Amino acid sequence: MDPITLLLLIMIGGILIGGGVHFIPVGGAPAAMATATGVGTGTAMLAAGAGLSGLVTAASMSGQPFYIIALGGAVGAMLMIALTMVTANLIYVFGAGIVPSSAKVEIDPITGRNQEKYVTPGTEGHGIPTVCFVSGLLGGLLGGAGGGLVYYAISEGFKGLNGFTPEIAGGLVAIVAVGIFFINSVIASYNIGGTIEGFHDPKFKRIGSGIISCGIASLVMGAFVYLLTIGVLPIGGVA
Amino acid sequence: MDPLTLGIVALMGAAATIAGASEDIETDIGSESNPNSQVQLAPQMGHLHRFINKAVAGEPVAYGAWAGIAGTIAFVLLNLHIMPILAITVGAAVGTLILVVYTITSHMGRIVSQSQFQQPLFMDALLEALGPIAGHGFIALFCIVGLSTLIVMPINGTPLHIFPLPLLAVIWGITLGAIGSSTGDVHYGSESEYQHYPFGGGIPVANQGDITTKAELGAKNSIDVGNFCAKFGGPLTGICFGFLVFFSFWITVVFGLIGGLIAGLVIVLLLLFINERLENFARTKYGPYKE
Repeated sequence: MDPITLLLLIMIGGILIGGGVHFIPVGGAPAAMATATGVGTGTAMLAAGAGLSGLVTAASMSGQPFYIIALGGAVGAMLMIALTMVTANLIYVFGAGIVPSSAKVEIDPITGRNQEKYVTPGTEGHGIPTVCFVSGLLGGLLGGAGGGLVYYAISEGFKGLNGFTPEIAGGLVAIVAVGIFFINSVIASYNIGGTIEGFHDPKFKRIGSGIISCGIASLVMGAFVYLLTIGVLPIGGVA
Repeated sequence: MDPLTLGIVALMGAAATIAGASEDIETDIGSESNPNSQVQLAPQMGHLHRFINKAVAGEPVAYGAWAGIAGTIAFVLLNLHIMPILAITVGAAVGTLILVVYTITSHMGRIVSQSQFQQPLFMDALLEALGPIAGHGFIALFCIVGLSTLIVMPINGTPLHIFPLPLLAVIWGITLGAIGSSTGDVHYGSESEYQHYPFGGGIPVANQGDITTKAELGAKNSIDVGNFCAKFGGPLTGICFGFLVFFSFWITVVFGLIGGLIAGLVIVLLLLFINERLENFARTKYGPYKE
């Protein structure tokens, strides 16, 4: 793969990952105590969990065109995030007797249901209402597709290098892809600064600076990946 | 569709279910989950307790590390042509040993830092929790490495996935940690930790730190937490992870590559519908807090 395409694909993948993280509704530790709306864990951790599931699905599409690999990543990540959100809501509803409701909007923009009346006084909402669920699915879609693109770019970049068995190359590609995924999700999570409910949250407006930062970071990482592919080549070039 | 491959995928789903349930119960016993913030806060609010608090790392990275260690050792032993079941067992045992060392050091570090609020370090509470933590941790690691081994094992000459065993173990460990942290923790944090408050509401910020420190008889401890969460939060976490592992492979095994992607999207839409019905049920059944 030529260096420009490699850099472009890694940069687009990074932007998709960084943008996707902003969609994922995470309430952090307060959500686990039903004090805040969203999934009860950290932004980067949930994004990484979803993205890595997507990476497993994307890699199982190896040998296919880049859009199929990206779609594979998106489906894997969406499956993970959807299953997690449904299971969390089952525990909120049946384990703690709580109605999923958002404190950031009075009316759910998707279902039109009133939210304010269903929020426990003294809390910032709880559970994962439909608007957050849809936002989470979009986050999984973008993050998983981005992870898939990054994986595709790196695996194409490493293709045909001397001295590498397919097992070693596969492992190396996966490790680098996981690293790029983690870096982008942590940058996005710093940009969010704690918790976010999804695209209806006022914090979502920060997405612009988040994706610019992720784009720049991914470009730098793409350059490292390119240097790595040259560095591991024996004198004489590609086999 | 090959029946043998389908059987292996079903076995992976079963192993993942057991891993998920064990992981959640283990981290609930050790308070290595989001509700640890309340266990940490309680002494400052005047509520001394006998809970274990080993939350130095979040569940995803911690389980990524334990599963990675277990998977790497199993991988080395498998390459030395040791019997797979023995290789997985030894790998999981070494991973568990490190988990126990980490439990002791991180709990002691956290509790000692609370001595300024007169919180004692109860050695008996720590020692009695080590067995259940090690047991559940071992089961979780055995199942994660076991299902990762099934993925890389060549069936009819081709493995299900191209990633090497240690990396798959790390990825599934991180994913399981993220799921356990997002789902099972809710049962601990919003219910078990605040059982003396009425059922059916979120925990207001003003009540945070006022955790339940008394059980039916005597002081509540981490074993009581594990016992409580094993009845709902743990099994649901297991079912969630089991479905994820199963669906991730089942869709492509049964429907092929493109058909599998479409099937995956259909499952996601079904989950969206289930979630909407669940929200509707809760609103109708429980009603609003204020009119």
